[in-house]
Amino acid sequence: MSWESVLPGAFAGGALERAAAAGISDPAMENDTFAAFYERSARPLWAYLARVSTDSALADDLMQESYVRFLCASGAPSLIDQGESAARLYLFRIATNLLRDHWRRPRAASIEEIPEEFFAAQGRSAQTDSHILLGPALRRMNPRERQLLWLAYAEGYSHREIAQVTGLAAASIRLLLFRARRKIAGFLRAQAAPVGRES
Amino acid sequence: MMLQNCPHEKEVRELIESGQWPLAAAPELRAHVSECRACSDLALVSEAFRQGRSETMASASLTSPGVLLWRAQLRRRNAAVERLTRPLLGAQIFALAVTLLAGVGFAGFEARHGVAWLTWLQQLPQGAALDWHNLFSASLANSGWAWMVLFPAFATLVLLGGVAVYMATDKQ
Repeated sequence: MSWESVLPGAFAGGALERAAAAGISDPAMENDTFAAFYERSARPLWAYLARVSTDSALADDLMQESYVRFLCASGAPSLIDQGESAARLYLFRIATNLLRDHWRRPRAASIEEIPEEFFAAQGRSAQTDSHILLGPALRRMNPRERQLLWLAYAEGYSHREIAQVTGLAAASIRLLLFRARRKIAGFLRAQAAPVGRES
Repeated sequence: MMLQNCPHEKEVRELIESGQWPLAAAPELRAHVSECRACSDLALVSEAFRQGRSETMASASLTSPGVLLWRAQLRRRNAAVERLTRPLLGAQIFALAVTLLAGVGFAGFEARHGVAWLTWLQQLPQGAALDWHNLFSASLANSGWAWMVLFPAFATLVLLGGVAVYMATDKQ
C-alpha cells in the first residue's frame, strides 16, 4: 500500500513542485536562458565528445545526458550570476566525467545491438577526416591525449581551465600537452607526406 | 622529453587564434616557424584542430532544448519524490519493527508465564458462554497483559506523532 493513498496531503500543497524546482527562481526565464545557452554551447560540446570518443552516436547520448545533469545539478554555476563561460566549463566537466565513466564500463555490446545510424555517422566522419587528416591522427592518440589536445587547441582553454575540466593537476597539464602535441604533429606530418608526394 | 619553450610561441598562438596566420605574419616569423620545431608543431596542430572543430560542429544534429528541459524536470521530480518518500519509508520500517518487537515480546511473555487464555479458549467449544469480562479481568490481573496493551498503543502514538510533525514541518 502506498503512503500517497493513506496520506493524500503528503504531496499536496505544491510540496513536490517546490522540491522539484528547488534552486530555480523563474522557470520561464530559465527556459529562455537555457535555450540561448544551449544554442551557443551544444555544437562545441558535441564536437568535443564526438572527437574524443570517436563515436558520434555516443556523443549524441552523452551530450543529452550532460545537459540533463547540468540542469539537475544543484551546484551548477548560474548562467545569470556566474556567466556563460563558467557554465560552459562546468558542462565540459560533466561531459568529461561521463566519458570517463563510459570508458570504465565493461563493453558487452554485440554488433546487432549497434544502430544502423552509427555506421552511417562513422562513414560521414571518416570522409571528413580523410580530407583534413585530423581524424586518423586523433584515433592513434589515447583518450586522455585527445581530451587535452581538443580542449587546448580546438576550444582554446587555458591550462587552469583544462585542469578544472579534466580533474588533472594544473602543473602536469603543460607537460602532458607538450608531449601530446609533439606526438600528434608527428602523425599529421606522416599522414600529410604521402598526400603531398602524390600531388 | 624536455619542455622546450620558444619565445615566439605566444605570438604565433595569438595570430592563429585571431585567424590571421599565416597571412598577417611577418616574413621573419614565418621563416622562424618553418625552422622551429615547437612553433611549427603549434601552428600545424592548432590549424588542424580549428578546422576539425568547425567541420565537426557543422555535422552535429542537435536535440531540441525543450526535450532536455523536460527530461531534466522529470528527473528532478523523480528525485523530489524519492526525497519525500524516504522519511515515510523510515516510518514504515519503524512501525514494522515495533510490531515485530511487540509480537516477539508477547510470545516470550506467554511462553514464560503460561498461556492462561488458551485454557479459556479450550473451554469455549465445550459450551461456555463468551464472557469477555471474565477474559479481561483474568488477563489484566496478570501485570504483563497491561504492558502488552500499553506498549503498542504508545508506539502507535509515537509513530503518528512523528508523521504529523513531519507533515507540519514539510508544509512550513
